[in-house]
Amino acid sequence: MDSEGRREEEIIKALSAHLGEGRVIEASVSRERRVFITISPEDLQGALRFLSEEQGFRHLSTITGVDAEDGIEVIYHLNDGKIALSLRVTVPKANPILPTIVDIIPGAVLYEREVHDLFGVVFEGHPNLSPLILPDGWPEGVWPLRKEWDIKRIRRKLKGGKDG
Amino acid sequence: MDEARFEIPIGPQHPALKEFEYFKFTVEGEKVVDVEPKIGYNHRGIEKAMEDRTYIQDLYLVERICGICSDAHTTCYCQAIEELMEIEIPPRAKYIRTIMAELERIHSHLLWLGLVGHEIGFDTLFMYVWRDRETVMDLLELISGNRVHYATNTIGGVRRDIPPEMTDEIKEGLGKLEERTRFYKELCLEERTVAQRAVGVGVLKPEDAIRLCAVGPTLRASGIARDVRKDDPYAAYGEIPFNVVTYDGCDVASRILVRCDEVIESVHIINYCLDNMPKGPLRAKGMGRAVKPGEVVSRVEAPRGELIHYAKSNGTNKPERYKVRSPTLGNIPALCKMLLEGYIADIPIVIAGIDPCFGCMDRVSFVDVKSGRNWVWSHEQLRRYSLEWYRT
Repeated sequence: MDSEGRREEEIIKALSAHLGEGRVIEASVSRERRVFITISPEDLQGALRFLSEEQGFRHLSTITGVDAEDGIEVIYHLNDGKIALSLRVTVPKANPILPTIVDIIPGAVLYEREVHDLFGVVFEGHPNLSPLILPDGWPEGVWPLRKEWDIKRIRRKLKGGKDG
Repeated sequence: MDEARFEIPIGPQHPALKEFEYFKFTVEGEKVVDVEPKIGYNHRGIEKAMEDRTYIQDLYLVERICGICSDAHTTCYCQAIEELMEIEIPPRAKYIRTIMAELERIHSHLLWLGLVGHEIGFDTLFMYVWRDRETVMDLLELISGNRVHYATNTIGGVRRDIPPEMTDEIKEGLGKLEERTRFYKELCLEERTVAQRAVGVGVLKPEDAIRLCAVGPTLRASGIARDVRKDDPYAAYGEIPFNVVTYDGCDVASRILVRCDEVIESVHIINYCLDNMPKGPLRAKGMGRAVKPGEVVSRVEAPRGELIHYAKSNGTNKPERYKVRSPTLGNIPALCKMLLEGYIADIPIVIAGIDPCFGCMDRVSFVDVKSGRNWVWSHEQLRRYSLEWYRT
């Protein structure tokens, strides 16, 4: 890594040290000011608390959900003013539960609801997970950004068909 | 529920603007004690649609996310795909992207300033500002042929040149815009109507702005000097001298001043770009079409604040996942905070203050929870109510 990457590398090292050996599953610096770190869900709150309170990553740009076949990746896009750090956890599709982070970063309140709407990830402890983006009367269990719900299947379901 | 409390649903429809929102206000007398937003009335499923289209088709779809900051979205998109493809765009393309981005900022901020005039019952300001805004619309049309969707960005560079023959006309227009913006700033500082409706209204303290992850002029009007152009430079911003404008009034007045000063900064940025425009091609040469598997985070400073896109590619000609977070969504939690403890009469101007992608609200229904009585006000009636309320 060249000198430009130093701060980026330091963050990875600091988080690894904070969480303990082997807890950071994957980490990379894709370019200057871009860091991707994967951890497991049970480390999520600890990692976010450490990054926001001790490393200056107080800004959450958004939360992205990604369908990863058996699981849902939930990516927290944090920022310290310069570096965009994407912190990833994966939850199983069959049981997609994560602790809320609104107590750590209050600005996460709508982003968690968005991921809940579109991927069905449940954020335990969130004050209100009612539909934010999806319209009233949206059928239950249709998580539109999951891959098993392709556009045609969603259309059929919305027309009242049997599960597409 | 407390007997003195009323719930007031506001929204979601507005036929004139692109984004719809709904707020449920709980009020005690004239004071707002709780706010609950519901968005999504204009959720078009673009992220899902993008997974079904090729990277080139998506470029055109992304342009249509917004009719005001369309260029910000295509810049963010092109950057993301270029990073996935490992393409470096030519220097001239970077400068043209910067010029278009700043022209867009000028038109967006002036549009907003006009709406502020309208919301506070100062329609003369609205009409004058919008008349002057035509100057920048003409410049956008001169360069791109379009007033709204400039279609200037493409993967690997830009589709339109800004030849030296255009420089004089652009500079003349910019001179006029700067002069008028300075005039409006003075006017806002001196005019009692503006002061009464904007100073100390819709307060967002710096600590709350950070906690609630506010972005853009909203954040900078709370004294926080964050700007993607400076902090995470893209296009040609890394080479251009400019200031990040902040004010620390934390209110609607500061949001006006930040945007006025930003228009002037934008004029300077464009002038600098025109004077220092590198020669060379508009688009990267010899690029293939393949997008390798990978993931990127792309950010730009849209007129309303930080815009972030996330792209994941899978080696095919369509993205595996494409995520867009526009600045308006980023500012909704902060907006709710600003509205709390404020007056009903300030709702329109405080909502307009973040420059949401809807300028105002259409239908306002007031529900007396206790008696079940309810009545509906249009946005126009709420606006008039607010003007009357301030008159007395």
